[in-house]
Amino acid sequence: MTELATLERFTAGDLVAFEILFREFQGPVYGWVMRIVRDRGAAEELTVETFWRAWNARARFDPSRSFGAWARRIASNLALNHLKGRRPPPIADDPSGAATMDPAIAGETRAAIERAFRELPAKLQAAATLALIEEEPYDEIARGLGISVGGVKSRVFRAVRILRKKLEWIRTD
Amino acid sequence: MDTNRLKHLRADTELKRDLWPDMRRRLDERTLRVSLLDWALIAAILATVVAFPESALALLYHL
Repeated sequence: MTELATLERFTAGDLVAFEILFREFQGPVYGWVMRIVRDRGAAEELTVETFWRAWNARARFDPSRSFGAWARRIASNLALNHLKGRRPPPIADDPSGAATMDPAIAGETRAAIERAFRELPAKLQAAATLALIEEEPYDEIARGLGISVGGVKSRVFRAVRILRKKLEWIRTD
Repeated sequence: MDTNRLKHLRADTELKRDLWPDMRRRLDERTLRVSLLDWALIAAILATVVAFPESALALLYHL
């Protein structure tokens, strides 16, 4: 837990306090962004951008609130904007190198699932990825994205409907 | 949706390197950029005052 004094020094523009916060929260913020954008390079850039925006908005931060939650909200907005501006890249170019391939899943199927997720509208993609792939609790997703739990459920529901349509051929296999 | 299949698509969320040097570089760049703009503005004002001395009075009036 970050000390109140550190947060107060941060809001006053103390760079040392900012570095303490950065080092404490860079991992969680990166992890959250990575779960949404699924691209290591982009996640690193967006993490730095998140803290840059936090630094510029420090005067508006209330030190009695959670810095982590605030940073996560900023990161979510940046990640969503990133998804909106990104066209689904070819699967072969996927740099995440994230998940280990399960032999049970054919490459073609996996590629189709990834592409189907990436082709979703940004807001649906973020909610669906966090809920269905990363299995984040709904209330956690809601806090991170700054929407209600009902809003998350609605986005996931809409995403699943689209995904089902796109991936129907897998289910019939 | 078969969530067991989706589990295998999970992202590697572990940060592999310290991003503070990137952050520090960005902070330094921005500081320098603002500073250069300030200097440019000061230089422009001084040049105007030298070229048109009477403008100094107008400038002082507005300050």
